[in-house]
Amino acid sequence: MSTEHTRLLLSGNHAVSYAVKLARPNVMPVYPITPQTPILEKITEFHAGGEMTGEIMTMESEHSVMAAAITASLTGVRVFTATASQGLLLMHEMLHYAAGARAPIVMANVNRTLGSPWGFWPDQTDSLAQRDVGWIQYYCENGQESHDTTLQAFRVAEQVLLPVMVVHEAFYVSHAMEAVDIVSQQQVDAYLPPFNPPHRLDPQIGESWGNTVSQTMFQNHRRDMGEAMERVLEVGKQADRELQELVGRGYGILEQYRCEGAEFIIATMGSMTGTVRDVVDELRAAGVSIGLLKIRLFRPFPVADLREALVGVPKVMVLDRNFAPGTGGVLFQELKAALYGLAGAPEIHGYLAGVGGTNISPSAIKEMVQCAMGENPSVNSVWKG
Amino acid sequence: MSYQIDEQKIFNSGHAACPGCSEALAIRFIINTLGSDAIAVVPPSCIAIISGPQPLSSMRIPVYQTTLEASAASAAGIKRALLSKGNDHTNVVAIAGDGGTYDIGFQALSAAAERNEDIIYICLDNEGYMNTGSQKSSATPSRAYTTSTPAGKLTPKKNMAAIMAAHNIPYMATATTGYPDDLARKVARAMKIKGGLRFIVVLTPCLTGWGIPDNAGPKVSRLAVESGVFPLYEVENGQSYTLNYGPKGLPVADYVTRQKRYRHLSAEDIEFIQKEVDQNWERLQVKF
Amino acid sequence: MAGIESRVPSIWTTGWTDILNTGTWRNAIAVHQKRPAPCHGGCPVDGEIPVWVQQVRNEDFKAAWETLVENNPLPAVIGRTCHRPCEGVCNRAEYDGAVSINALEQYVGDLAIRKGWVFPVPPIELDQHVAVIGGGPAGLSCAYQLRRKGFRVTLFDANPELGGVLRYGVPEYRLPKKTVAAETRRIVDLGVNVISGQKLTGKDLGKIEQEYSAIFIAFGAHRPKSLPQFPDDADRVLDGIAFLRSVRLGSPAELGQKVVVIGGGSVAMDVAGSALRLGRQAEIIALEGREVMPAPEDEIEDVVAEGVRLIDGAMVKTVEAISKSLRLHCIKVKLDPDTPIGVIRPLEVSGTEFTLEADTVILAVGQDPELADWEDQVRVAKGMVEIDADYRTSRQGIFAAGDVASAERFVSTAVGEGRKAANSIAQYLGQPPALRDVTAIGAAQEPDVAFADINTFYFPPRDRSERDKVAAEVRKASFAEIRLGLTDEQALVQATRCFSCGACLECDNCVYFCPDMAIVKDSTSPLYYKVLEQYCKGCGCCLEECPRGAMGVREETK
Repeated sequence: MSTEHTRLLLSGNHAVSYAVKLARPNVMPVYPITPQTPILEKITEFHAGGEMTGEIMTMESEHSVMAAAITASLTGVRVFTATASQGLLLMHEMLHYAAGARAPIVMANVNRTLGSPWGFWPDQTDSLAQRDVGWIQYYCENGQESHDTTLQAFRVAEQVLLPVMVVHEAFYVSHAMEAVDIVSQQQVDAYLPPFNPPHRLDPQIGESWGNTVSQTMFQNHRRDMGEAMERVLEVGKQADRELQELVGRGYGILEQYRCEGAEFIIATMGSMTGTVRDVVDELRAAGVSIGLLKIRLFRPFPVADLREALVGVPKVMVLDRNFAPGTGGVLFQELKAALYGLAGAPEIHGYLAGVGGTNISPSAIKEMVQCAMGENPSVNSVWKG
Repeated sequence: MSYQIDEQKIFNSGHAACPGCSEALAIRFIINTLGSDAIAVVPPSCIAIISGPQPLSSMRIPVYQTTLEASAASAAGIKRALLSKGNDHTNVVAIAGDGGTYDIGFQALSAAAERNEDIIYICLDNEGYMNTGSQKSSATPSRAYTTSTPAGKLTPKKNMAAIMAAHNIPYMATATTGYPDDLARKVARAMKIKGGLRFIVVLTPCLTGWGIPDNAGPKVSRLAVESGVFPLYEVENGQSYTLNYGPKGLPVADYVTRQKRYRHLSAEDIEFIQKEVDQNWERLQVKF
Repeated sequence: MAGIESRVPSIWTTGWTDILNTGTWRNAIAVHQKRPAPCHGGCPVDGEIPVWVQQVRNEDFKAAWETLVENNPLPAVIGRTCHRPCEGVCNRAEYDGAVSINALEQYVGDLAIRKGWVFPVPPIELDQHVAVIGGGPAGLSCAYQLRRKGFRVTLFDANPELGGVLRYGVPEYRLPKKTVAAETRRIVDLGVNVISGQKLTGKDLGKIEQEYSAIFIAFGAHRPKSLPQFPDDADRVLDGIAFLRSVRLGSPAELGQKVVVIGGGSVAMDVAGSALRLGRQAEIIALEGREVMPAPEDEIEDVVAEGVRLIDGAMVKTVEAISKSLRLHCIKVKLDPDTPIGVIRPLEVSGTEFTLEADTVILAVGQDPELADWEDQVRVAKGMVEIDADYRTSRQGIFAAGDVASAERFVSTAVGEGRKAANSIAQYLGQPPALRDVTAIGAAQEPDVAFADINTFYFPPRDRSERDKVAAEVRKASFAEIRLGLTDEQALVQATRCFSCGACLECDNCVYFCPDMAIVKDSTSPLYYKVLEQYCKGCGCCLEECPRGAMGVREETK
């Protein structure tokens, strides 16, 4: 098998599909939903063409997709699926269940506005609304990152026995075509050892899963999940480093772009980081001491890393392409909470930018920077359009 | 006559079913017939309680407890995972209640039947949400009292057997706990017919929900058969019908008057139920 | 607990529920127990009916016969003559007709004769010697039981052949001589010394007493009762017992063409049937209505079918001699319902007078023991030898049973009494008391299994089959036996119909219907099963699903 890298012009969704093929999952329950559908279509095409083996399950709902994914995973095999928006919400019950089951499922979620009213636009509220379900969440900036992160996701999930959601946004990433370096099969096989968990649904072992527990057992179980989440911070970094050693591309769980000595940092996630990166370059060129903090790993929320990255920085501007009515931008809230009580913590400006998929241009971001620099921060998120 | 039932010792004593529970009896013959090369899926229900308190299990096979609506999908997931590992012999069985089958689990079940997943799905039908204290499900029969239909249910029971047969699955059967050899035989038959979804609906009297004495489960279940309320039959590939035990001419009054859930019935109500049962039987018997 | 819980895995199981003790939930536990069947309680010989019927069902006929002859050495005879109280109390009677127990008994008895099965040699021989006076059913039964216990037995009988009423009373068409001979021979072959043709009287008692350790008196009842309205006319008014004896001896008494039989019991039926077979026209006048006549209904049915005219609920008031015949002035009667039990008082129904012409009248209104020369030897009361509950007479070492000491006139009752008297004699002679007939634990205190205890689901309805009979037109022409025995197939069907009330057949229902798997087979238990107290929750499903009431409940207090 060739170790040569293949570079293909791919949509973000197909970049994910290629990574899935390389990871050799055994079971793939699927259900269509815009804008995720191309991920499953490419996979079923690979499968039909003999490029992938395993079981494709064409389920009748996302709920059943996740139900089947959990049991397949607990039977001791690698499982992948993908969804978006309403589909993710229909899974909500099973997302909790998967995490509680310690099922290392990998799922791609394509961020899309939630009804009602209906829309098809990039908006991270769907996945951010699942922040408490016990899934690891990665937010990807582009197709290449989604490709690489999908491979990392299997590695991390199977090491800590928690499910992973690999998230990118509708259209801006899912359907945008770009050149993507495909990792070779040999490299992936070296990177992802076969999944063979000691506890599984297996008549030879005879263990049952999920009988009713006492209060104490439940609490212990949750504590164990919390500890597994804690480990993700280190395991995630290691997975990233090791892939970087193989293919030369690494992302970290956070990316600090031109943050050295920065007096102003823009913090955001997903596709918006690309635009912000350009703005940072432009403003740095103009002498502004500005940097970008990209949060790639949102769950577990890397509090210590964030505090280290932002201590002593005077001002941080958070751009949220999501909206939680009543509290505002989710990243804004979380970041404030993460920095609470930190000596030398920055002032934090929370801007709702791009909710509903509205286009946020570089000039709009520059205006926001200017605005944040000139005023005291509001305790609440501020609509910026 | 005496029964000859070939049982493996898979279902354990010490489980938490009520004294005299017909559901435990049903599980016994299902699980002990399936044997050790099996994995079970159980949604929330009394079955889940009977499965055992963590860290103990009442079944000497792996049991996975899923969510109420997901039994068929969960079972299919296990089966596909096994197939992907080259294991085509382990039987995967979902054992769900009527709420988890007729109501909330119906979508997943119908879809699994349409995909013809290679699983056995067994519904232990006690005609209501008995684990939560006897509420109406779509399996609750006409006129029956439940806590959510205190004046009696106005609409008839959903005909799940007919619906599943209409999926043209390889095997559909009705069974009940008063005929344990028939139940065990049907499970064995389902095991033999591999390669598709096999469905068995087992009428399983709930002692508290139906208002019958601890020792009366098997007897009442037989009265359901002998009065024509619940004929025992099999359908293969949606078309080949076999009657195992049909009505023996017993009036439904003999069946309903033994159950407190029917104690509010007037003579007209009983007549109504009798007509309904007669009509159902007329429609069914032409298929044999 | 929290300490333990903190160590167990939170989602994957590590063990099984069978370490738990769900037995603490119950307040009563089911127990396997042998319970008495009503047929056993109703059986005059205390027969283990459910046991031998099941042996027939299992086609272990030899074992069935051995069980039968434990209590009754004459199954082929009793299988033809018993008044069948067992069938009257059979639980299956309430369902689809009693099991044909009597016919089954005949089947086994006849089979034993055909196969030539013999009684085993007594295990011990004792020196004590018992005299049995009377070779009828009570005497034969007693002699048999005593021989089995090892006693020496001498049987005195007045007739040339043994059998008493069986040989000289019941007509050939109901009880063939060869059957009686076969079964009595088997008893004799056990080593009974028979002195026949010798009628002992009370005067011989003293002498016998000196030679024997004990004496059993069972010479029956032979003195006919008479009715005052009939003239002492030996030519035209005959005694039923004497008539039947004459038929049995092959020289029937002279009869006119028109015979009227007076009486409503078995003897009356036998007399009428015999007269009919001798080519006579026969009528019966019975005091009781047909439904309460002492004769069993099927015996009445037989003679009526054969052409005997039955006039029930009537009596002869006066008799008028007219040339060669008698004119009987009769009247219909009703029985006074207010009389004490055992007393019959007919009330004439005015205006129902009628007359009958008879060439011969045969009285069959009962008979008493002939005790003329016994009254000064043993105490006599109400025309019978007085006995206590252990069949002891007033004189030490002398026992009595059968018609000589009892008002009951049933062959099977006499057989049963003979057996019980033998036990009593054995005890008198220093043997330990006989084992209880019912050997299983707790059985003695338990009430009979009732129909309500039977789970009829396990017994699909199946008709009781009667023995076939020769057609009335054919049978009335001869003394050949009228009732055909059951065929092999019929016998098996009948045996299968038996509920086996209270006697476990190891059907395993108790095992299968336990939702807690709390009942297991136990080869070391005489009751076949063990209830696992750790798990039994006390639901009672085993009890309910036991087809035959072979389980009970033990309350538990905590």
